[in-house]
Amino acid sequence: MPDVDPVIARALRGVFDPCCRDKGISVVDMGLLHRAQVEDGVAHVDLLLTSGWCPFAARVLTDVEAAVAALPEVDTADVRVVWDEPWDASRLSEDARSKLRFMPAPAQVADREAFITSKLMRQEASR
Amino acid sequence: MIGDAFVFDGVAHPFNFEEGNAYGPPGQMFSNHLYAFHAALTPPTEPVMPSAEWLHKWSIDEIGEMIYDHSDTDMLVAMPLPLTDLFRDGLSPWQECARLAQRDPDRTILWGTVNPLEGKKALDDVTRQVEEYGAKAFKFYNVRYEDNGPVPWRMDDKQVAFPVFERIRDLGINLIGVHKGVPLGPQPIEYTQTWDMDGAAANFPDINFVIFHVGLPFIDETCWQLIRYPNLFASLAASLNFIVRAPRQFAEVLGKLLFWCGEDKIVYGSEAPLWQPQWALRAFWNFQIPDDMCAGYGYPQLTDQAKKKILGENLLRLHGMDVDATVTRLGRKPAHS
Repeated sequence: MPDVDPVIARALRGVFDPCCRDKGISVVDMGLLHRAQVEDGVAHVDLLLTSGWCPFAARVLTDVEAAVAALPEVDTADVRVVWDEPWDASRLSEDARSKLRFMPAPAQVADREAFITSKLMRQEASR
Repeated sequence: MIGDAFVFDGVAHPFNFEEGNAYGPPGQMFSNHLYAFHAALTPPTEPVMPSAEWLHKWSIDEIGEMIYDHSDTDMLVAMPLPLTDLFRDGLSPWQECARLAQRDPDRTILWGTVNPLEGKKALDDVTRQVEEYGAKAFKFYNVRYEDNGPVPWRMDDKQVAFPVFERIRDLGINLIGVHKGVPLGPQPIEYTQTWDMDGAAANFPDINFVIFHVGLPFIDETCWQLIRYPNLFASLAASLNFIVRAPRQFAEVLGKLLFWCGEDKIVYGSEAPLWQPQWALRAFWNFQIPDDMCAGYGYPQLTDQAKKKILGENLLRLHGMDVDATVTRLGRKPAHS
């Protein structure tokens, strides 16, 4: 993430994606952080949402703004959502990827029917 | 028809945003969220209505003209909203939807709606809407907001939901839709997630359930449910409208659905008058999943056959209607530009 100030990234590791709070996945690990720079005391933070229907967009913006504004070098925080670039799973950190990959990308599934059968059996076994 | 595809729109609401209809800030927040969707997702080439103009009481003629006169839509579901917790008349009352259906009785189908938390009244309302007004299916909303707090219910609730499903089934109806994902206004996210659909689908295998908005943002969970239950389907209503503003995001959702669930389990809806239907229809008819997403992620391409099924044929079948016979009965409408 070349456009991300590491100080801001560090601060945002304590801000969780609300859908993933129970898994301890931060907005940074989710790959939501697109750009974050501080210029003359103003922090400019751009976020990507995993989905245009993200039900927590407002809360994420508020939490990110509060965390960034609390930094000593920041007077005010300008937090925005970027709409013209899609989020995709490649933005996940390794840690988040290991916790979240609910369904694999189709290209990683050699045999769809065999995959489904195997997953169903694992699900049954875990009950 | 668009191209040679029959278009059956699974949802339009005659909204009543008239001043005084909303119960205070929660209802106003809901209305404002809906307007934000209109403003944010309408493409730059299409007109965006000012909020004061859009937030009005939509007449059935306005909806009918938007659907049938200004788009390539062949059939429509008149879809009520039972949000009597947020709006005095529910925002899109079923009686108004019945009038919308009566406006074009050959082409417009009424879905009913009730609040299952109302017990016997809900059961009586189901019967009335079917027997007196010809409702062919029902649509539910799991989250209500009353006395300044959320009052949710679940689709797998044996006391609340199942008696209503049984009444619907007893009346010969086998199609139920439910709003999932996309919380609006002060609604708790938990009850817009799709977890309760397992219990509904498993206990009522003879009822087909449509998960509206494909449960976004919980698409992976929705896919895994559609895989496991033959009686679960997904509606692209509202989710489709990212197609111009965020085409790769839409391609990812559609690619997952096509690969995991297949083209037979996806249906279309315009959500008019949230958006004018024609631009999204045209965009969908011309849409291709980007080659790099097919090659890189393994998504299947969106074929013409899949488009035809999604735009109309699947929903016709869910209503027990023969595709060829319906096309013959209604004829081909002249295409719009």
